[in-house]
Amino acid sequence: MKKTLLPLLLAFVLMLAGCVKTKSDVAEKPAADSKSGGNASEQVEIEVLGMSSGEEDLNIVRDQLVKNGFKVKLNIQPDYGSFKAQQDAGNFDVAVSGWTTVTGNPDYAVRSLFKSGGDYSIMADPEIDKLIDKASTQTAKDYVKTYKELEQRLVFDKAYIAPLYISLKTQAVNKDVLNPKSVRLSKSRSLAWETIDFNDEAKRETEPFILSQANPTLTSLDPIKGNDGSINMINTNMYVRLINLTDDDKITADGSLSRNYSIADGNSEYYFLLRGDINFAKITDKKAVDTGERVGADDVIFSLDRAKDKNSVPDHRTYSLHEHIKTAEVVTDVSALEKVKQSGSDKSVREALEKGLDTPISTLVDDKTQVNNKEGKYQVVKVTTTEPFPQVLNYLAHQSAGIVSKKQVESINTYDVASFDVTKDIPYGDQNTVTEGDKYNNTLYTSGPYILSYKNDYEAIFHKNPGYMKGTEHEPKISNIKLRFIKDIDSSLSALRNGEIYVLYGVPENKQDVVESDSKLKLQSMESNGVTYLLFNTKNRDVAKSEDLRKAVLYSINQDEIISYYQGKKIKAVSTVSPIVKTGNELKADPAKAKEFLNKYLSSK
Amino acid sequence: MSTILKENESFYKRHALKLSPEYTQGSFTWITTLALTVVFLLSSIDFSEKAVKPSVFGVFTAYALFTLIQMIITLKIKQDLKKLGFIRQSTRMLGYIQLLSIFTGNIFVTAFAFQLIKKKKTPEYVFAVYMLLIQFFVIAVSALNLFKPYVSDTFLPAMFVFLIIALFQLAVLFLIAKEKKGAKVAGWKPFIGIPLLLTALTGNLFALVLGWNMLMEKRNRNNPSTGKWYKVWEKIASNTTSMLGLFFIIFVFAISVCSYLTFDYGMAIENNYSAILQAPSLVYPLGTDNFGRDLFSRIVFGARISLIVGLLSTAIPFIIGGILGAISGYYGQRTDNIIMRVLDILYAIPGILLAIVIIAAFGSNTMTLVIALSVGSIPTYARTMRANVLMVSNYEYVDSARALGASNLSIIFKQVVPNSLAPMIVKATLTIGGAVIATSSLSYLGLGVEPHIPEWGNILKIGSTYLESHSYLAIYPGLAIIALVLSFNFLGDGLRDALDPKLD
Repeated sequence: MKKTLLPLLLAFVLMLAGCVKTKSDVAEKPAADSKSGGNASEQVEIEVLGMSSGEEDLNIVRDQLVKNGFKVKLNIQPDYGSFKAQQDAGNFDVAVSGWTTVTGNPDYAVRSLFKSGGDYSIMADPEIDKLIDKASTQTAKDYVKTYKELEQRLVFDKAYIAPLYISLKTQAVNKDVLNPKSVRLSKSRSLAWETIDFNDEAKRETEPFILSQANPTLTSLDPIKGNDGSINMINTNMYVRLINLTDDDKITADGSLSRNYSIADGNSEYYFLLRGDINFAKITDKKAVDTGERVGADDVIFSLDRAKDKNSVPDHRTYSLHEHIKTAEVVTDVSALEKVKQSGSDKSVREALEKGLDTPISTLVDDKTQVNNKEGKYQVVKVTTTEPFPQVLNYLAHQSAGIVSKKQVESINTYDVASFDVTKDIPYGDQNTVTEGDKYNNTLYTSGPYILSYKNDYEAIFHKNPGYMKGTEHEPKISNIKLRFIKDIDSSLSALRNGEIYVLYGVPENKQDVVESDSKLKLQSMESNGVTYLLFNTKNRDVAKSEDLRKAVLYSINQDEIISYYQGKKIKAVSTVSPIVKTGNELKADPAKAKEFLNKYLSSK
Repeated sequence: MSTILKENESFYKRHALKLSPEYTQGSFTWITTLALTVVFLLSSIDFSEKAVKPSVFGVFTAYALFTLIQMIITLKIKQDLKKLGFIRQSTRMLGYIQLLSIFTGNIFVTAFAFQLIKKKKTPEYVFAVYMLLIQFFVIAVSALNLFKPYVSDTFLPAMFVFLIIALFQLAVLFLIAKEKKGAKVAGWKPFIGIPLLLTALTGNLFALVLGWNMLMEKRNRNNPSTGKWYKVWEKIASNTTSMLGLFFIIFVFAISVCSYLTFDYGMAIENNYSAILQAPSLVYPLGTDNFGRDLFSRIVFGARISLIVGLLSTAIPFIIGGILGAISGYYGQRTDNIIMRVLDILYAIPGILLAIVIIAAFGSNTMTLVIALSVGSIPTYARTMRANVLMVSNYEYVDSARALGASNLSIIFKQVVPNSLAPMIVKATLTIGGAVIATSSLSYLGLGVEPHIPEWGNILKIGSTYLESHSYLAIYPGLAIIALVLSFNFLGDGLRDALDPKLD
């Protein structure tokens, strides 16, 4: 039997050998050449730094670099703190970084990231500084070209960053409970609570609207002292601003403290006509009470002055956003408004401010208690910038420019800023004052649609501001809001599907199918201002010295592959301004170029 | 004398059902296969579309057929045993039909069939059967790569060699099956033993044991010191569950070794964006993950890390803890106090926390993972060893060795340690399973090996995010972990029974 089997077996194997392709048969080039980029000893090692939450991106980048002949070392950190520590220590060649332009204007997308000495900048290139400054003074029409030049220099000529993608902003809504049309999804601004309504309007007073947030530790409830995920949504809904952004990032006065606004000719003076129907709210016995104090021009001026002044509070986190504000003042002379022309028009500022008003301006008052819009008594605030800077309006729409009560903040912040002692002094908006327990002493005065009553580690309770634009379409619909703190996104999604929460912001790509297949949920999504990119080390590594090496990495990145990994739920990017300004640039992966630059780098070594 | 024999016979007849290993194994087999059959039936029906998947349904029919035959055989065995007290040859012949089930990959039925065919089973026969089964499974699993767009360069020659080895092992099985029990050692044995040892290079450890046994048989016969180990093998070979456990462990080991030649690492590690999240098919037998990597290849390569880490992180505390325990147990007094108190301190630190700290301090790679998992379990091994040594060092043969003037070290390592090893071996097999789980849990937490490296915990981690939409991504690596851990536990149980002198 063995004798007959063996030839049979041989024949079978030979037959198989004829129709089976081996790896080297299908490889286009000799494997050693395409896979390893020359000898193993010559292989260039790239250390990629990232967070474990971005493991997918890290793996895609790793795979693409390996396929282009690099040796990749991954440095994965569990959280942002340790990631930042590694980044500050310079333990990386490229770091997977993310940036979201919360103000919706291109200047913010580049200034603190790439300008020499910027808040988050690790580079110094005079050419780039010049382009950033030039673009900031231009209007939307003109700056496209400047930003295109900037991208050319930043990405293609110098390869300081290698872009990966623009994310989508997604939000899932329980449409059985909430009216999905009332839940806004905006490109830059946080979720606005006042418009949200139940399907059953009778529930407005009795049922709370429940949503979730990851971080239970609130940085500060003083708007200028924080700009992060823990308070952005909360402070946006607790403090009204001079101006707002629409869902697609256009400037609007809708739902803001201004009835109208106008830019004066020269792009350095900005006028805002204030509404008289917003009062501050405060908390008494954990219930929201109307203080009877109107939000007026003195509060606006006070808020903007402290926003731009680095020394107004200890630990000021947002002054760089407002460094372009020179002065803010109240205008009492109506004729002054008539003399000034609008930017790019022959009409006067007064005409712009009076547009659509029921009663035109009769007098401008200094004292906010005198305001009576029905009788034509208004307040106007004029903001002057240090240089022509139209994008200042975007910064004024940011939550850090929220209006606080002059009287209340001054009465709480009695400490001396220079000798501030964290253990003794309690600043306005300290989260301990609203946390249940011994230290609870809620001193918040809020100008926005809602006010925080109290919080603990599991949830925060908000009540509607009873004195907020009563009788208008902007009056908050739902009286009570419960913000649940759920750290894990998977748990939040489960909570949404169980009906424990009604809105979930930021549904991960791989869970969107699940949301779409659930009949009671609705998935909303739109392009966001969030860009993910690779940041090159500029200090102590070879990538800092060699432009060729950086470009070899740059051209190894294939955005098409990234997008197909995310099943089309990401958008191509070139730089952090890509979501805001369509410059027409595009990064095309080019293995030939990557190889060329890599060889150039190797021969120069 | 004759009455005693008669009584014995009637005793056997009366208790034949309980005493027959074939009957217990037969019942075990039909229940397991029935369960598998039901699983296949359920997965062949697409409940949402109300349609039947023909390929899975085909597998189900094959399984159902063999289950049916298995039930009939079990029934026949029962009748035979009740009527005659032994199994008729005609019933045993049915086993040849069941042998065909090897082509469905049903290890339970095949193993049973081999048991049924042969009336008097020597451990050699059982080992030869399992050796052949492993070779067959390795070839079958490797052959699945034929459906891939391409195979690794060494695939064809390697498969050819594997086939030849399988034929050779089949021949060995025939020779062993024909051999009579208790006969003189056949002259061919040493000559076959050496090539058989060489086939163990494919990772088939059954071949190693069998080959070694063949080489040493003549020498070892009637040697009292090795007789004990032969007994142990005999006991394990007759214990089906522990043999199945051993089968899976050695299969995983063999496929890890063979995968160097027959599997392409690129399939497991390189992203393929055109094949993301594909359902299981012939090209991708277990589907692909979110990066388009072949889950089947990943699990096969992952076995390597799981096994290496599992074995090493058991071997290190086994050796270190064993030596420390032996020294402190033998010398006692101050030595004992110092060593054991120091180990008590180590024992007071929770193992998994210690592992996390070590990984956090030295970075995550396979070596630190092994060390991290090893350090925590040194004290338990030391305690086990110390307890045995305390007992053994009071025995007469230790005293006599001392009286003969043997040095302490030689007493420890020649007399005491070998006789204290049995509980350590049992403990080790039982903790390997724990180590495999610990490796996977650490990877699952993102503390083990790098995420793109195929490791079962890593694979499971990706699967957990797709539990609802692509559940196979979590089910298969989960099953692999369960099967390996369960196998070690079964083997450990079998070893404990075999090594326990009280059960003799």
